[in-house]
Amino acid sequence: MKFKIIFSFLGLLLVLFIGVPILRMLVSADPGTLAGTAGDAEVYSSIFLTLRASLWSTIAALISGVPLAYLLARKRFRGKKLVEGIVDLPVIIPHTAAGIALLTVWGRHSLLSKATGLNVIGTEIAISMGMFFVSVPFLVNAVKEGFKLIDERYEKTAVTLGATPWKAFLTVSLPMVKKSIVSGSLMMWGRGISEFGAVVILAYHPMVAPVLIFERFQNFGLKYAVPVTALLIVISLVIFIVVRIFEDK
Amino acid sequence: MSLRLENVNKHFEAFQVRDIDLDIREGEYFVILGPSGAGKTLILEMIAGLLEPDSGKIHGTENRNKGFIYQDYMLFPHLNVFNNIAYGLKIRKKEKNEIKRHVEATAVKLEIEHLLTRDVLTLSGGEKQRVAIARAMIISPDIYLFDEPTAALDRNARVRTQELFVKLHKETGAIFVHVTHDFEEALALADRIAVLKEGRILQCGKPDDIFNHPKTKEIADFLGYRNVFGGEINDFRMTVDGIELMVPKETAEFAYIAIKSDDIIISTEKFESSARNAFKGTVSNVLKKSSVAEVVVDIGIPLAVDITRKSCEEMNIKPGDPLWATFKVSSLKVFEHK
Repeated sequence: MKFKIIFSFLGLLLVLFIGVPILRMLVSADPGTLAGTAGDAEVYSSIFLTLRASLWSTIAALISGVPLAYLLARKRFRGKKLVEGIVDLPVIIPHTAAGIALLTVWGRHSLLSKATGLNVIGTEIAISMGMFFVSVPFLVNAVKEGFKLIDERYEKTAVTLGATPWKAFLTVSLPMVKKSIVSGSLMMWGRGISEFGAVVILAYHPMVAPVLIFERFQNFGLKYAVPVTALLIVISLVIFIVVRIFEDK
Repeated sequence: MSLRLENVNKHFEAFQVRDIDLDIREGEYFVILGPSGAGKTLILEMIAGLLEPDSGKIHGTENRNKGFIYQDYMLFPHLNVFNNIAYGLKIRKKEKNEIKRHVEATAVKLEIEHLLTRDVLTLSGGEKQRVAIARAMIISPDIYLFDEPTAALDRNARVRTQELFVKLHKETGAIFVHVTHDFEEALALADRIAVLKEGRILQCGKPDDIFNHPKTKEIADFLGYRNVFGGEINDFRMTVDGIELMVPKETAEFAYIAIKSDDIIISTEKFESSARNAFKGTVSNVLKKSSVAEVVVDIGIPLAVDITRKSCEEMNIKPGDPLWATFKVSSLKVFEHK
């Protein structure tokens, strides 16, 4: 009994630490401004841009990250620790630094840009790139841990039953890590939505929600920043809850 | 076509097998017997084509279906029983009706037709085992590979599974390669046995040969013999640690003997009998099991003796008691090297 109470108490502290400021902000939103914000097309387009750009980055990460996660979980190879280090790096470096690093490769004066004439800076693609860079570790690591939990002999059994390694992967391993993939994608997508540092360097415009919040705070003050924030939080929360419910089914 | 392993060597992670030469005949039930870590699974995975030998060759596996059954079944948890069994046919892109017919027929054969719609996580060990066999059977393997298939089962399920294997082997006429650490299972099932230890085959032959003529003390221990002693035999006597035992045979060289633990009589006094081996000793250990008690009598060498629990209690045997151990010369088994 005591055990349960202490654990519940400690857990409650954490939940309150996160929950109270958010709740405070939601209730402190000035009704008039909130109504105005809810009807503000710029706010909506910014929020949907944010959700969409993060979705693109998550899809790109699924395509390239799931195979990488598989290799890291299953294979032993030279330089594996280095690869794992590189994948983890975005978690620890300041996100503005991440943005600047990306700029050196994709910026207007970069070799790549000069050679190809490509210019992605200030576009939705650049936003997705920034989000991808800083949030892909969440997906790769979640899926990697998922693959590690699955006995390799499931695939071997599939191979003895006539499956090619491709088929074994698609029909056995992949469905078995479905949960890790869903929750890793959700983490990555959510992390992408909240990204400010890397995105603001790569694309101030079009404005993602975190940049819009920052700008409204700078130019008009807290009163105008809060409603945008509240709206973003509510929409994100709804999507998170829906996906979690869906995931349990 | 026989299945032949020719001088196969493989080192994989913590496991290793060396100089494996086996010639498994068509339709043979072949058991690889060895303790865990001996490299048994490695051999099966090489036969299955899941691993390549580092050196050496495996003949007779090309273009033949192999049915692999792992100890913990490896049923796909995201598929129900029907879809687990159907897997090999779906991979072969068989027609839906044909798959259904085939799965149902196989399920009937293994008496699991009532389980087809079940989630595999809800099955008992014995049921999982049958589903795993059905899943392998559906592709009509020429070679069945069993990796410790009964290790995770309780006693009753194990016996039923062994009966099932005998029946399947007879019906399919396929090669069965079965690895186990259980010598009784090996004796019950095998046409021939290879004893594997630390990656090497120590002995290969018919169950009777191996059981009656284990080449080394290790094998004898592994076959469940108790009281195994080694020494030179002179004039029907073997001296072990200064104790002279009367033996029934003369052998030219160093030999091993074994005394079955229930062939030894223990008594508080020496008694007159025809038994030539009688030694005074001290009880060093008593282990009471459900109906049997194992008493270890130290006569200069430790002798394990099985008596009924009842006599153990009636004689009130406890460690430190002086006792006589008596056994007939003819009850001694002498292992000759062949």
